Amino acid sequence: MSRLRRLLFHPVFIFVGIQIAWIILMAVWINWYIKNSLRFKEFAQKIKPELFTTDFNWVILLEGCVLMLIILAGVCLIFVYWTKQARLNQLQSAFVSSVSHELKSPLASIQLYLETLQYQKVSPEETREFIEIMLTDTERLAGLIENILEAGKSDVKSMQPQLAPLEIEQFLKELLQAYERQFKERGCEARLDIQDSPTLHADKRAIRMVFSNLLSNALRYTPEGGPITIRVTAQKKFCVIEFIDSGVGLVKKDLKKIFRKFYRVQDKETQGVEGAGLGLFISREIVKNHKGKIEVYSQGKGKGSTFAVSLPLDPDKENAS
Amino acid sequence: MAPAKKILLVEDERHISKGLMFNLEREGYDMALAENGESALDYFSQGGFDMMILDLMLPKLSGLEVARKIRETNIRFPILMLTAKTTDEDRILGFELGADDYLTKPFHLPELLLRVKGMLRRGDWYKEPVRNKEIFRFGKMWINFDTGKARGNSGEFHLTAKETLVMNLLASKKNEVVSREELLEKVWGYTSDTETRTIDNFIARLRKYFEKNPKKPVRIVTVREKGYQLVLGPDKS
Repeated sequence: MSRLRRLLFHPVFIFVGIQIAWIILMAVWINWYIKNSLRFKEFAQKIKPELFTTDFNWVILLEGCVLMLIILAGVCLIFVYWTKQARLNQLQSAFVSSVSHELKSPLASIQLYLETLQYQKVSPEETREFIEIMLTDTERLAGLIENILEAGKSDVKSMQPQLAPLEIEQFLKELLQAYERQFKERGCEARLDIQDSPTLHADKRAIRMVFSNLLSNALRYTPEGGPITIRVTAQKKFCVIEFIDSGVGLVKKDLKKIFRKFYRVQDKETQGVEGAGLGLFISREIVKNHKGKIEVYSQGKGKGSTFAVSLPLDPDKENAS
Repeated sequence: MAPAKKILLVEDERHISKGLMFNLEREGYDMALAENGESALDYFSQGGFDMMILDLMLPKLSGLEVARKIRETNIRFPILMLTAKTTDEDRILGFELGADDYLTKPFHLPELLLRVKGMLRRGDWYKEPVRNKEIFRFGKMWINFDTGKARGNSGEFHLTAKETLVMNLLASKKNEVVSREELLEKVWGYTSDTETRTIDNFIARLRKYFEKNPKKPVRIVTVREKGYQLVLGPDKS
């Protein structure tokens, strides 16, 4: 019943209904006017004959029609904004739902291990392991909160990065070290392929966020035991950092959309994979702020993906776009 | 010594599954883990499990779909849904598709263990020899508490294990008020200070089966601040 009600109150049906109502009303108006205009004329002539020095009949009819059309245009305009708002509401509820899931899962894990420590007899080795798990979960929570806050900033584009020299090789080694546990848990092998090791000028915190998002995605979508490669090359005035995974891959239509805010690939294989649809959107904005660009390549489903981040060696002089 | 109860845990979040396995094994249960919906069904088809703890957001096949498929062939297998989905709609959908109990993340470990214990106890109750072979009739409708088969508004169908238990309790005390606490204790096997919306969802479902107008129930009525009552007056249906 509620499904039927939802269907009946769908914006398209309401719009069509309003249009039909207006057309009927307009037809009634024309019909009524034509039928009664003569009687009005006679009546008006008795009261104010000077009005009939010129013929007003068609002007009044036309005025009525124009008024109707203006109202119709107004309804169309309201409809356009309404559907936009409905789409935004839909996006927002999908976002709230996935974010609440994203927040609750690590929180549930932390609570579970804390209560395990409270209620069960746990050996020192197990305690150490549980604490490590909890720390990973707090990092996951922190990353998510950081993404939400970053995406919530009113104008991500206008944020100026705090540029400082950044040794890319050392930076990536530190990042991989931080992800050691996650790699171990997934049984994935991390390969660091440094072909060039330039010094960049970048906002360390922001770029760490970008690389963390890309690395987390690679880990999420790569099957157990699959390799993940980070390759660094210098091309003229840019440094290209590629995150190459052997995961589920992407179909052509998703390649264009995955950087959109809240967008998540709808797929049977990935329906249980965590994510709020913010990481890639924020990463793109941050890279843009560095006058760089981020691209994605995939040969198709099941063939892995490559995310390539191009950062200018000197962002003050270069512009990737 | 009785063999350990066998529980199938279906959970794709590694950290949560590891913690749950640790705790449930410590409680003496024999555990098996499935990390996606398809492998959950594979495990289930092998048989031998006493209950299932089922996450809903799973790769390959969602938890709801897993529950639905299990209910196609087995209405009594106890399923506890453990999920981050917390809205009333999610909960109702979970129950409609065959959950016997529904616990949301984050959860308290003692509560989870208590619910598991309660569900397994109810499972045992079901395996006992048939005590009530008679069919319980009310108007044109009837329930066979032994098989779970029933006749409601829309013809014959099967009640789930928990639904049968709720109706059995209400029927055994027909025209008397059964408190929510009693329902919780006898059907779910846990104390009354826990989540009670579960009962409301079950009652709403039972009304859909057995009431002409579920919004204005005349058979399974709510007695304010007391509980529920199965009213069986002179037959009018």
